Amino acid sequence: MANLEIEPGSSTAYHTGDWSIEQPVYLDKWPPCSQVCPASEDIQAWLALASEKRWQAAWRKLTERNPFPATMGRICYHACESACNRNHLDSAVNIHAIERYLGDMAIAQGWQHESVDAQPQTQSVAIVGAGPAGLSCAFQLARHGYSVTIFDAQDAPGGTLHSAVPNYRLPSSVLAKEIDAILDLGITLHLNTRVNEDELHDQFDLVFLAIGTQQPRQYRGDSSNHSVMSGLDFLRCLNRGEPVSLPKQVAIIGGGNTAIDVARCVRRLGASAVVVCAQDPHGSHHRDLATEMPASLTEVIEAEAEGVQLIYRAGVRHLVRSGEHLSGVEIAHVEHVHDRKGNFNPRFFDGTEEFIAAGLVIFAIGQKADWQGLEGMSQANESEGVWVGGDAVSKSKLAATAVGSGYQAAMSMMANLSGEISVYQDHKKSKVAYRQMQLHYYPRQPRCEGESLEQRLDGFNEVVTGLADDDAVSEAKRCLSCGVCFECDNCWHFCPDAAVIKKEGGYTIDYDYCKGCGICAQECPCGHIDMVGRSSESKSPQTSL
Amino acid sequence: MDNRDPFRYNVLTSGHRACSGCGEAMAARMVTDLVGPDAIYINATGCLQVFTSHNQQSAWQAPWIHSVFANAAAVASGVEAALRIKGKETPVVVQAGDGGTFDIGLQCLSGMIERGHDVLFVCYDNEAYMNTGVQRSGSTPHAVRTSTSPPGQFSQGKQELKKDVISIIAAHNMPYAATATIAYFPDLKAKVEKAMRIKGPRFLQILSPCPLGWAHDSALSVSVSRLAVETGLFPLVELEHGELTGVMRLAEQKPVEEYLRPQGRFKHLFANKAGGVELRHLQALADARIRRYDLLNVDTQWDTETAMQSERHGRGGYTVSSAVREVK
Repeated sequence: MANLEIEPGSSTAYHTGDWSIEQPVYLDKWPPCSQVCPASEDIQAWLALASEKRWQAAWRKLTERNPFPATMGRICYHACESACNRNHLDSAVNIHAIERYLGDMAIAQGWQHESVDAQPQTQSVAIVGAGPAGLSCAFQLARHGYSVTIFDAQDAPGGTLHSAVPNYRLPSSVLAKEIDAILDLGITLHLNTRVNEDELHDQFDLVFLAIGTQQPRQYRGDSSNHSVMSGLDFLRCLNRGEPVSLPKQVAIIGGGNTAIDVARCVRRLGASAVVVCAQDPHGSHHRDLATEMPASLTEVIEAEAEGVQLIYRAGVRHLVRSGEHLSGVEIAHVEHVHDRKGNFNPRFFDGTEEFIAAGLVIFAIGQKADWQGLEGMSQANESEGVWVGGDAVSKSKLAATAVGSGYQAAMSMMANLSGEISVYQDHKKSKVAYRQMQLHYYPRQPRCEGESLEQRLDGFNEVVTGLADDDAVSEAKRCLSCGVCFECDNCWHFCPDAAVIKKEGGYTIDYDYCKGCGICAQECPCGHIDMVGRSSESKSPQTSL
Repeated sequence: MDNRDPFRYNVLTSGHRACSGCGEAMAARMVTDLVGPDAIYINATGCLQVFTSHNQQSAWQAPWIHSVFANAAAVASGVEAALRIKGKETPVVVQAGDGGTFDIGLQCLSGMIERGHDVLFVCYDNEAYMNTGVQRSGSTPHAVRTSTSPPGQFSQGKQELKKDVISIIAAHNMPYAATATIAYFPDLKAKVEKAMRIKGPRFLQILSPCPLGWAHDSALSVSVSRLAVETGLFPLVELEHGELTGVMRLAEQKPVEEYLRPQGRFKHLFANKAGGVELRHLQALADARIRRYDLLNVDTQWDTETAMQSERHGRGGYTVSSAVREVK
């Protein structure tokens, strides 16, 4: 009889991986929060660091894309939270509150931005406009060693953030400190300066125009300017600390965030506020028609809580005056505001007129760029060494969009200066929807909020406080880490073939033994594992990614 | 020896010939890694024995004996008695399928328990004789299609009920008997560890889906076993000396259809009226088990929702002693 000696574990000589048709691969994906973030922040990454209380590392990760966490944490309308996959489990992660927490901590601790390249570059870049787009671009260029000069016509940097965002949303000191931290990278800033094209072309290699939209669109339906104001001018007056005296009743025309800002400021100054907007209220519009008011839903809810009255689907027929004195506005149901060609041409329905008593009408009906001195550059392009970004050209007028636009311009300019091809592909990474995830693996946990001020109409104090320390950690831990491994061990536990090997800081798949059953991909909570077809020649999976 | 993985022994390692997505291979790897390599494993005939000892190769990295179908518990009794006489405390673990437990091995198992041998008996319950071609066993649930209980004109799959083996075992004044499944690793781990702390005979029944015999997608083994618990068809219970001492509460009761739909062995229930009657019968069986063990209301350590929650950076796994690792 043959000598039968069987070694322990001798089955490993047989490679069951040959059976497989498909094989699992670990693949980092782009979570929906980052997908929709106008500034393309890697939100999952900085939340993961925050959940481990590695605050400075989290702040550094965040500021790679957005040097304004304290500011954006306060004022951004956080599309990330609407997109958060956690909405399908309980409620979205309070991303903006953690962002604000990190920004406030950076200010309190005096953290400094660090350069990416120690090597200084020889080229210089001019940036026109010290708003979020211009500063974001300057920040990226300066971090990479370029010499940057910013020109701004105003007397303080910050653009619209400084001049027109009310203090109850963004205290000016917070913005000023974040801007100082950016300028500390060695950026030259010329305030109260209007430049012209020739100066820019002569003195600088490249130019980034981020001039924003500083000109309010005027209401043309009334010849008199008496008791009529633009929302932008009103907010600027307030932010400059100029005395504003209001009548008892104020009508605000417009459905955007500026209109809501104005209305909430008006309430704080003790007057009643009626907002007349041409669009539908949130949640009642027909999706295809896109007639929902553009203002943020949370802002509208806050405004209503503060006693702002909103009238929807209405437009101004004319201002009612007795002589010069304004007694109010006549409004009517508006079918459309712009005609098919996109021109302002409102169509009212007769018989729906209504009188709104008001001693002042504030129009917040849009803004446009002020190209004075730069007219020739408004149509310039990158081949002429001119980049244009921010509100002046973006369709979305969010501050975060401006920050993102500044980042993209900086990346593109640096590629141009170094002679490389600009690669901006983050959004091309595959997405991860909640259907690809196993949400039942996550514990339900209520969302932590900052405290809301009760007595808010007394002044321009901030309405919402920041998160408490413990809350910031537990809130960061609520992140589902969509598409990015958080080492839950599921794939390792559930592999019937011991083909998943756990290593320090992650896992590898031993394709010699993986039979391709797909359990790891099926049970991965965050959708990090994909099954891909196996190539016949090689053992490793065939993937184009 | 294979020591690719620094975080567990892989007592049952790669290269075994189980089908893709095998629930039994997964369960056996979990249990044996929890018990560790310093134990003697006795394996009754069955899938596990066949696919781990194929072609003069062994997937085991611990002492392992194959007995015949009926006498695994008797062999274990002998091994345990010999160790006792030699003054050794090496754990003895029997592994058997449902055939080797519910039917063919029941008499020896009963004797082993009655004599009080210090042995952990683990039954990997895949609810039929899978290795020989999916024949019905005493564990096969009601209305299941197997090759010896085909649905047709006269029956809708197996006409009889699944044997309530845990009650039979518990009736032996059994120190510890519990049911578990692969979907809830923390629960399985707690039960294995508890069993290893108790002296005397101990019994674990682990529901282990079989993609071949249950005819579900191989990726769904864990999901299906989880649904068996969530629907109430497979209650997770612990019995000590015949008394119910622990159950896994259901966070919510899911309709049995969610469990049955992905499995081809229940496909005929959705084909005609007679199948529909059996569908309601299975729902009634689930409801009865939920009432019997009070699965929806009982106050327990965790429930079907909390027992499976993922944690960052691992939820803990196996104890790997550094000394043993170095010897490897």
